[in-house]
Amino acid sequence: MRILRIVSAFLRAAILKETAYRAELVGNLFRSVINIGVAVGGLAVVFSHTSELSGWRLEQAMVLLGVYYLVQGIVQTALSPSLNEVVEEVHKGTFDYVLLKPVPSLLLSSTRRFVVWHVADVMLGGAIIAIGLIRLEAQITFGVAAIFIGVMIGGVAIVFSIWLALTTLVFWFVRVENITMIFQLFFDTGRYPVEIYPFWLRQLLTFVFPVAFITTVPAQTITGREPLVAIWLAPLIGVVALLAAARFWRIGLSRYTSASS
Amino acid sequence: MPPDVSVRDLVKHYVVPERAGGLRASFRSVIRRKHRLVRAVDGISFEVDRGEVVGFLGPNGAGKTTALKVLSGLLHPTDGQVDVLGFTPWDRRAEYLSRITLIMGQRQQLFWDLPAADSFLVNKAVFGIDDAVYKRTVDLLTELLDLGDLLTKPVRQLSLGERMKVELAAGLLHTPRVLFLDEPTIGLDVTMQQRIREFVTAYNAETGATVLLTSHYMADVKALARRVIVIDQGQLLYDGALNGLVQRYAPHKTITVHLEREADLPDLNGQAEILSVEGLQVTVRAGKDDAPEVTGRLLTQLPIADLSVEDPPLEEVIEQVFRGEGP
Repeated sequence: MRILRIVSAFLRAAILKETAYRAELVGNLFRSVINIGVAVGGLAVVFSHTSELSGWRLEQAMVLLGVYYLVQGIVQTALSPSLNEVVEEVHKGTFDYVLLKPVPSLLLSSTRRFVVWHVADVMLGGAIIAIGLIRLEAQITFGVAAIFIGVMIGGVAIVFSIWLALTTLVFWFVRVENITMIFQLFFDTGRYPVEIYPFWLRQLLTFVFPVAFITTVPAQTITGREPLVAIWLAPLIGVVALLAAARFWRIGLSRYTSASS
Repeated sequence: MPPDVSVRDLVKHYVVPERAGGLRASFRSVIRRKHRLVRAVDGISFEVDRGEVVGFLGPNGAGKTTALKVLSGLLHPTDGQVDVLGFTPWDRRAEYLSRITLIMGQRQQLFWDLPAADSFLVNKAVFGIDDAVYKRTVDLLTELLDLGDLLTKPVRQLSLGERMKVELAAGLLHTPRVLFLDEPTIGLDVTMQQRIREFVTAYNAETGATVLLTSHYMADVKALARRVIVIDQGQLLYDGALNGLVQRYAPHKTITVHLEREADLPDLNGQAEILSVEGLQVTVRAGKDDAPEVTGRLLTQLPIADLSVEDPPLEEVIEQVFRGEGP
């Protein structure tokens, strides 16, 4: 209850902040639409030359792209703004104020900032998924939908954990913006099914940097494709990743509180 | 009643990377870092009672901020015991953090683009402050700090001084019992420094909160703290009343005499130095121990209309302490 009140206070402040710059708001929405339009257009171009891409049909690839934007929207709305703030605050020294609050620092550090207009990505992503599914004439049962949502939550948990772990490096290296760029680089590979990549990269993206669980696996689940790996692995990896990242955060924090000046 | 703050043999050492200037040294340090041990706080002990206002004095790098950070739970000490309100600060228990505040003059916590009132609401939620208590506190702070309409203007539009007032208010919304203020007046103009000082005095009187503050400005400490703790190079040099500091550390006294008529000055045996002779007013400086004898000689050998013996100004004494010229 308390947590909800805290998060809604931050959300309120974020909405106020975004709407304070209306021109930026409109500009960013416009950019989202263009971005996603270009990506869908790109898919259409590819599939005008072939009817299948490593076994994926256009509609299935669209669903996957939708999942990509949905996850990216969630990350950019709620997760990365807060975590980027941590990096900046450790530089400036104002991270001290986070530690002075009577709320767990991880909770505060990951729910403090929202960039509201990125919700547009979430909605557009959802729309592309819907269009893909309708064109596939897929029969989505309640069970499939529930599994899909579970797998998606697992995917978001994985993204969050990786991002959190990379952010935590700030306690050692202070400058980590470049590391989060590397994350974006890997994450971008998630626009396409991992099957299109060469074997070694596919393994890397499945087991080391599990982008496969973020977009390919959820898209497979709902479009009825043969899954790459066991479905239950996705939420399991999500939980394990979360726990590991939280543990790493605590280690980083103890370093901060024993070494900062 | 146990003291609000109790510090025993506090030690905080840092290991910091060290490198010489220049490109070559930079490259070398990427591969192999040299480290240096900094003894920021090196064994200090003190206690602060409920409702006391204590000034932390010391030159840059003396360890003042480090000490405050340990007290507020941001840093783990290398050694020693600290007890504040019955808590060990670095456990950072929620109950502890809701009873203290650390306000740093050089670091802001308010949302830059929003009016402070919006940041206040976030703090209200984070500290779980009741509506009624919140309203009462904001009213009190608005009155004491003369906030007026500052809370409804975006923070970025406020002047430096106005922003500091609002920052202070933000740090006090949860009505902490112990205040750690790190350079609360830094960079402010004289009038605004004065306002902040008056506020701290009034707040202390109103709420009975315990205050520990650091400052570069002697005027701050003079106006606020009856008791000062002087630290330098991590060590405690003095803990006691402000005027005791002068008595203990001032190595000399200034003797000023007004003569009835012109006269030759007596031989002072090198025990005193003549600072100025202006008409019939003569000012000499004598070592603390020599001062009585010099005064006696002046009285017997000169036609004196008036004589005064004074301690040097506090600022001068402090400077001397910091230069390591103590007794």
